[in-house]
Amino acid sequence: MTDTYIINATWAITNERFDLRVGHTEEPEGISLSGIPLPGVTAIAPAGEMNVPAGARTIDASGKMLLPALFDLHASINIDGHSKRESIYRAGQAANHGGVWGMLVMPSRGFCFDNAATLDSFYEAAGERSFATMIPAGCITEGMQGEQQAPYNTLAARGITILSDGGKMPDNLLMLYRAMKYAAEMNLTFAIRGDVPCLTRNTYAHPSTTSYNLGLHGTPACAEEIGIETLIRLAADTGARLHIQTVSTAEGVAIIRRAKQNGMANLTAEVALHHLLYTHEDIGDYDTTFKTVPPLRDQKDCDALLEGLKDGTIDCIVSDHTPCLPFAKKQDFVSAPQGMVALDTFLPAIYTHLIKPGKLSWADVVRTCCTTPAAIATPYDREEDTPIASPLLLFTPDSQYEVTADSLSCGTLNNPQLGKTLSGTVTLPIN
Amino acid sequence: MNPRKDLITIDALNDEDIRTILDSTSAMKDIFTRSVKKVPALKGKSVLTLFYEPSTRTRSSFEVAAHRLSADVTTFTVSTSSVVKGESVHDTIDTLMSMKMDYIIVRHKHSGIPAVIARHCKASVINAGDGSHAHPSQAFLDAFTIKEKYGDVAGRRVVIIGDILHSRVARSTSTILRRLGAEVAYMGPGPLVPPQQHTGIPRFTNWDQIFEWKPDVIYLLRVQNERIDSPFFPAADYHAAFGVTEERLRRIDDLDMGIMHPGPVNRGVEICDAAMDYRNCLINNQVENGIAARMSILYHLTPKTQSND
Repeated sequence: MTDTYIINATWAITNERFDLRVGHTEEPEGISLSGIPLPGVTAIAPAGEMNVPAGARTIDASGKMLLPALFDLHASINIDGHSKRESIYRAGQAANHGGVWGMLVMPSRGFCFDNAATLDSFYEAAGERSFATMIPAGCITEGMQGEQQAPYNTLAARGITILSDGGKMPDNLLMLYRAMKYAAEMNLTFAIRGDVPCLTRNTYAHPSTTSYNLGLHGTPACAEEIGIETLIRLAADTGARLHIQTVSTAEGVAIIRRAKQNGMANLTAEVALHHLLYTHEDIGDYDTTFKTVPPLRDQKDCDALLEGLKDGTIDCIVSDHTPCLPFAKKQDFVSAPQGMVALDTFLPAIYTHLIKPGKLSWADVVRTCCTTPAAIATPYDREEDTPIASPLLLFTPDSQYEVTADSLSCGTLNNPQLGKTLSGTVTLPIN
Repeated sequence: MNPRKDLITIDALNDEDIRTILDSTSAMKDIFTRSVKKVPALKGKSVLTLFYEPSTRTRSSFEVAAHRLSADVTTFTVSTSSVVKGESVHDTIDTLMSMKMDYIIVRHKHSGIPAVIARHCKASVINAGDGSHAHPSQAFLDAFTIKEKYGDVAGRRVVIIGDILHSRVARSTSTILRRLGAEVAYMGPGPLVPPQQHTGIPRFTNWDQIFEWKPDVIYLLRVQNERIDSPFFPAADYHAAFGVTEERLRRIDDLDMGIMHPGPVNRGVEICDAAMDYRNCLINNQVENGIAARMSILYHLTPKTQSND
């Protein structure tokens, strides 16, 4: 295959402009920008200085930004009532639209990764149907029931490096303690959301004016914080690697910051994009799109989460992509399922709401959405026996588009950006 | 008043709506003194009561109100078993639409259900209580009762005592009273009274503070054990700490305060026996006014069932 030349691309992190030669036959090591390796790039030169052979395939990237594609550490892809293949296809397509090249797929009712056979059929279907690289997270417990540990050895042999019960915190801490001790020696990471289930049962919103006015039981912030503290203590004691999912409260950030400052290694944490963009006030008059677990909280929590991202307390932004059928979301707030879909609009939403207003820099976004999450998930090609490197994408910041039902390819409409205008379009893959 | 299809919350009404409904409550009440207690205002209209939660008082109050306006009333019995998870409200709505009802009076244990029904059907939907969210007809009858007793709601002080957290009555009644210019405070066991920063309503913790504040009306809420999944407070303490005891009743009498309660009353919990016979006990007035207020509400709503679209 011939080389492709990308000319006049702006490197998002530094704003410098470069020409690149992207080849497919060789991958020399050592080519990187700002310390970020560029897979497939065989040569690099300041803009206008590359010798592009006549007739070569060129992509003029004037006005476009070049950056590594994003990796999402938290996506559920199961669409109720659709086949698994359809769910995989839809999520992969949505991911590419949103600038995401790979994702960690949470186990869910449709994709219960607690045995080898399910994993094998998932790998096969994802290999055939998905535009994006899909890495499954194994279950912590059989059937995600929180009781009997899943066969970690078997799962690890099938390439599992991260375990999660779809974010759920097990009730049984003794089971979790033993699971961590067992899995620590296999270098598996536990991805769990901080929670005390008995404190959050039958709760639907952040305790606030919104929960009071709408008559919805409040989800106390302390439940998440006690849960995070508990998980950290368990991980410290057992030596297991711990990744705390969807932190939503200011105190939760503070607890993780303290643990990291105290030298706790093997601890990472994530925030869902919606916890940076929305508060409980967005629920308005029972808008079920904004029903999430953990719930949308106060502005001060959003601010603390953003601060945590910038100082490295929180390692990555995730989509927490959760497809819900329109019919299900049309129910009343208490009955409707929780969750939003975010993959389709992931990078444009981050750009529009966080980068453009100056809340995060491109460097922050590349660190928290590209390099760090990929490093946590360690995507690996099991057939080729090599790590999979992140591809590059082109982003056109000046273009705007309206998010319509037709523009969402994820299969459901529970995207809070629906009907809004977003800045920036993604080209992924570049070729 | 502009034509309004539904009554879901007090917040959704403007001042004119509230005033109009309250004013004609009085006219409706006049009908009760006549020998023929019936007017043909809703003749030929059909009213459906759809109660997913057990209720005798509110349901019969609405039914009597509808009968007195000459409407045809149908009772839709929802067995507890059909409310199990998975049953979709939308399917129920489709069924109701096919029945061509004009008014649907709905009560449900989930907050927000009446609004979902209202959005998807042409009939006027009246919220007869949804979860811990709202109970607007109760708010109207409470406001009317206070107005009737004191001449005006504005300037009055009302303390609502009990389980505020689970109470749709507290939310709706405090809202209408404040809209009409009254001052409202809350008092109750710690875990059952949300903080002032969430409610915008001052929060007392004991009776001494209440007597110091000198309210005109003591509004007692029922301890709703059926709405409480696990204990919130030591139940044995309730009467002594938050109820109207005989000793407190003497001070209430001295200060000439009124007592209200949405019913049904738990004697010996919220209220001692003697207080039920207290001269300023307005509980029976509330029941009577409930019918008039609900007639007024039915009368002022405009279903969209007439249009051909």
